[in-house]
Amino acid sequence: MIRIGLRDARAHLPRFVMSIIAIALGVSFVVGSFCFREMMNDQVDQMLGSNTDADVYVRGVAERKDDASAATATGSDGSSSSLKTYNDIDVSLVDDVAKVAGVARAGVTYSTSGTLVLVAKDGNAVSSMGSPTMGIGLEKGTWRSARLEHGRWARNRHEIALHAFAAKTAGLGVGDTTKLVYPSGPEDVKVVGVFDTDVSQAGAIIIGLAPSVAREVVQEKTGEIGVTQYITVYGSADGGGPLNDAQQRELAARVRKALPKGSKATAITGDRLRDEYSRSIKDQLGFIQPLILIFGVIALFVGSFIIANTFSMIVRESMRGYALLRSVGASPAQVFSTVVVQALLLGLVGSGAGIALGWGMVRLIVFGLAQAGTPMTGAATPGPTDMLVGLAVGLAVTLVGAALPARRAATAPPIQAMNETVNPEKPVLPRGVAGVAMVVLGAACWAYCVAVARAGDTGDPTPFAPLNALAERVGAGWPLGAGAALIVVGVIVLSPALVAPAGTVLGWLPAHVFPVTGRLATRNLARQKRRTANTAAALFVGVAIVSCLAVVASSAKASVAGIVDTGLKSDFTAMSASSGRIPDDAVSAIRKTKGVASVSQSRMLMGVTYGSGKDAAQAMTFAEQPSLFSKVFAPVTNAGDADRALKSGELVVGLTVAQDNGWKVGDTVRVNGRRVVVDEEATAKAQADYRAQVEAKTADLTAQAQRLAAAGDADGAQAKADEARRAAEDAANVDPSTLVRTTTETTHVKVRVGAIIENSVYRSMVLMNDDLAERVNNENTMFTIMLFVNARDGADTATVKKRLVKAVKPFYVINVQDRDEFKSSMSTMVDQILIILYALLALSIVIAVFGIVNTLALSVSERTREIGLLRAVGTSRGQVRGMLAIEASLIAVLGTLLGVVVGVAAGAVIRVVYESDGLERLSVPWDQLGAFLVLAVLVGVVAALPPARRALKVPVLDAVSAE
Amino acid sequence: MARHSAASVAALKDRVDDGPGTAPDAVARAIDLTKAYGDADARVVALDHVNVSFTRGEMTAIMGPSGSGKSTLMHCMAGLDTPTSGRVVVEGLEVSSMNQRQLTKLRRTRIGFIFQSFNLVPTLSAEENILLPLQIAKRPIDRVWFDKVVDVTGLRPRLTHRPSQLSGGQQQRVACARAIMARPSVIFADEPTGNLDSRSSREVLGFLKDSVHEYGQTIVMVTHDPRAASYADRVLVLADGRITRDLRHPSYEEILDVFATEGDEDRENGPAQAADAHGAGAGA
Repeated sequence: MIRIGLRDARAHLPRFVMSIIAIALGVSFVVGSFCFREMMNDQVDQMLGSNTDADVYVRGVAERKDDASAATATGSDGSSSSLKTYNDIDVSLVDDVAKVAGVARAGVTYSTSGTLVLVAKDGNAVSSMGSPTMGIGLEKGTWRSARLEHGRWARNRHEIALHAFAAKTAGLGVGDTTKLVYPSGPEDVKVVGVFDTDVSQAGAIIIGLAPSVAREVVQEKTGEIGVTQYITVYGSADGGGPLNDAQQRELAARVRKALPKGSKATAITGDRLRDEYSRSIKDQLGFIQPLILIFGVIALFVGSFIIANTFSMIVRESMRGYALLRSVGASPAQVFSTVVVQALLLGLVGSGAGIALGWGMVRLIVFGLAQAGTPMTGAATPGPTDMLVGLAVGLAVTLVGAALPARRAATAPPIQAMNETVNPEKPVLPRGVAGVAMVVLGAACWAYCVAVARAGDTGDPTPFAPLNALAERVGAGWPLGAGAALIVVGVIVLSPALVAPAGTVLGWLPAHVFPVTGRLATRNLARQKRRTANTAAALFVGVAIVSCLAVVASSAKASVAGIVDTGLKSDFTAMSASSGRIPDDAVSAIRKTKGVASVSQSRMLMGVTYGSGKDAAQAMTFAEQPSLFSKVFAPVTNAGDADRALKSGELVVGLTVAQDNGWKVGDTVRVNGRRVVVDEEATAKAQADYRAQVEAKTADLTAQAQRLAAAGDADGAQAKADEARRAAEDAANVDPSTLVRTTTETTHVKVRVGAIIENSVYRSMVLMNDDLAERVNNENTMFTIMLFVNARDGADTATVKKRLVKAVKPFYVINVQDRDEFKSSMSTMVDQILIILYALLALSIVIAVFGIVNTLALSVSERTREIGLLRAVGTSRGQVRGMLAIEASLIAVLGTLLGVVVGVAAGAVIRVVYESDGLERLSVPWDQLGAFLVLAVLVGVVAALPPARRALKVPVLDAVSAE
Repeated sequence: MARHSAASVAALKDRVDDGPGTAPDAVARAIDLTKAYGDADARVVALDHVNVSFTRGEMTAIMGPSGSGKSTLMHCMAGLDTPTSGRVVVEGLEVSSMNQRQLTKLRRTRIGFIFQSFNLVPTLSAEENILLPLQIAKRPIDRVWFDKVVDVTGLRPRLTHRPSQLSGGQQQRVACARAIMARPSVIFADEPTGNLDSRSSREVLGFLKDSVHEYGQTIVMVTHDPRAASYADRVLVLADGRITRDLRHPSYEEILDVFATEGDEDRENGPAQAADAHGAGAGA
């Protein structure tokens, strides 16, 4: 029997091609997704091992609520990052830790990401695709995994060491001079060293700064001084090499003991921190795998019914053969096995091809990333587990697909098998009822989700207490997902019942345009409702995902455009592309530009808190000109008079902040600010110390020179004298700023809340006017983030724009945009997401085409005689092709339409849920969705070609006389 | 008998060779038609230099045992099969050299078909099936003619039914109605009553005969059944790819008689053909 099966398989090989491709595609996605995730994880682990390589870390003990970052990532409900942050610890602990026995080196490594911009040799800013530009304070011993390859580490603001990848990307080498754009503006720097790490840094541009410079940059950015999140500790137990786990633990224990009481600090092993980091990063990257898997599942789903269809065809055609086998005494099980053997073979070949394909896909992605400037060193080879999973999935899907046809082959009584049998379809009504129930339940989930989102933090979403309690526990995201799952599955379950009505409705147009072929095609669809529905389902899921994303993306664009259209009154905006801070020189350059009438400056106040003691809350605080609301941005007022409040020195609070803190107009709030001032006393002391040091050194050298001169070594004496003179010169040239000592003063101001506004841009901010801001912070803790520029009346905005662009060119990173560009700058980001979206769409189309081709092929094979009859009564070849094309198009349109409806609904619900995050407007991209439908028709036409060719290849005579 | 048939074939041949102009009543003609299957080693000749002409307004039955070439003759005449040599002319058009497009046009305008089974498109109602050829060809529908055809076939109450809701006889009557609806030059019927009980057979054959006599329809019918053949104006008997008899208005008994003697000859020629002929006789 097995031999018969194998021989059959060889005979049916051409038939199996499509099944093999489908299985291979599905398996490749499964294997590829696992492989990709492992590669990313591997890369993350490698990078952590290299970049977070200390043996022990000292960090705070109290877990910190995500207040600081909450302002920038509200509504994400902590899902964006699972990494906990702890209270900052005092930098002075370094001294305590360094004294512990077994500690080779303890210190704070200051690093900043996205703050600096390196100018490449060709004069353009180095851009790295997706990966950040990082500045790290490095000197000997601060980063064990980094090896200095050439030159030395940087010692001051005008020196940098570059990571080898950065050096290569920027085309710079030791000794080259270039510009580095600090937050305060570009400065000339000299490359003094090149270092490398064993692990690729995934495209990050790493700049080694002098530690003191890095500290300044970091402090300036965070507004935190004298504190740090981590102190890194390298142990000496292993002779400078990384410690093993036990050694790390032991050292951590010792360090912990040495930490003074009340320092609110503890020591943890490096491995533990790396684990935490790695888990958090992997969580963030985790969304990629399910996304790939979804399409893998679609491919496998289509694959399984392509297989079912193929085997149905084969079984149908071989029925007489099976009947013969049965009549000569083969048992049903034996007949079953001849079919299943073919399925097994097919599954093996398909899975094998899929594993290879999946591996190739990941390789291709790695190659693509490397070409795009993000080299990966993580392993990208599927492990035995991946292969086994792929093989198991492929085989399972094949067997599931082949089981029913094989059963039919085995159980058909010999006599019945001799005749052509038409299996009447089971009624689809039960499925319709079940599907509708699921869809209704899903819709209820969504309605609940919308109610929860609408209600926000105040008020109850529903009149039912248990549901409200649930809402507090699970939030809006959970019902959103459950609703989506229910609706998608529900529609798939329901779809066979939809086929007949949909055929009538969708078929109306073709039935009128092509009276005969259109009508025939429409009715053919309803003959095998399940098969038609399954074929459409493949497209449905893909299109639903894509159109949901399209709606969200389009709404995001429209919301930004809406802000600009309704709120923004200024002609231009200026922002920094890197750090967010606009250097003061750039501000004055813009002010001085000809044609500029007024410049409104948004300055962020660092480290401002509200309230007192433990309840102190953080919020992004901006200093604005009093004219902000009249000249730059129209307020959307929730309570109070925003314009008057700003002018009269009261707080204007964003709705989210007000809700979080329970503030109302008229409340008085304590504002705690920070001012960094020069500590005259300490500075004087530092300068005196330095002078004394230099004097001592010159005195010493001079003394040596005199001694040498006395001893008769004139050359030596001369050298020493020169050295002494150089030391004195160096001292005179030393940057006085390095000797300035600063101190932080805390300020407390009581201010009345004057207005609450709900513009989405201001929702999570507190605004105050410049005068008030000056009382809270000073210029050292306030940085210009954004400029709003109005052109002079009657000035040509295009010319003014050109002048502005020219004015900020020396600052490299300042981006001046007019209103349209401001709109589209947000859109570009969205557009990049859309590219991924279209790749996914293409994928689901390819899979769907396979499904349609296969379904039609089966249908054509079943209808050989009918098509022969049609031909005999005068149907032309074109009409037969047309009929099949209409059938295929209707299937495709049905799937697409269902997908678009569900996707748009999902997108609309998602928009409501994330309304407070800026998705203020619902925009349905009808043109895109329309294009999907047109595409569906085309897909149908293309998919109908191979089955039509097959149908027409059969001579009319053979077709009609086939018995 | 053999001499007689040879003579009549010769006469036929003469008439055909006179050209289209001299035979105004011939709808379809086969001229020196040969059809062979297989290659040189295993050559099976289904039609052996057949010359025949079908007269307008006549119902011709083609009879003969299995393998005699009767179906092949009809398929070649209808353009469903291409002859190895010789010509087929329908209404002055040479079918044997037509391409697919021309064949489609021929089927739309000149030829109607009735098959033994599977005559109807399952997804279409009876009415839609009847109108199918006209709609495919985008020809106008003559409602008066349609009503007449429907009434004659007695299908009025069944028009909205799907084929699966009709009996075998009703299905064949729908097929007949469909074939006649387009008023083709000639209807080729392949065992139209092969799957029917005797009452349904009578209905269908009666309807076909009426359409010939009342509306001047031309019908060529392949059949095993002497009773079906007895409805025809003319009966051609084929054996081994040649026309052996050409009977004018034969009675049922005459036809049976022919087969009885044919059977004797077959028994002398070989047992296989005899069994076939016997089977055909038993079927009737």
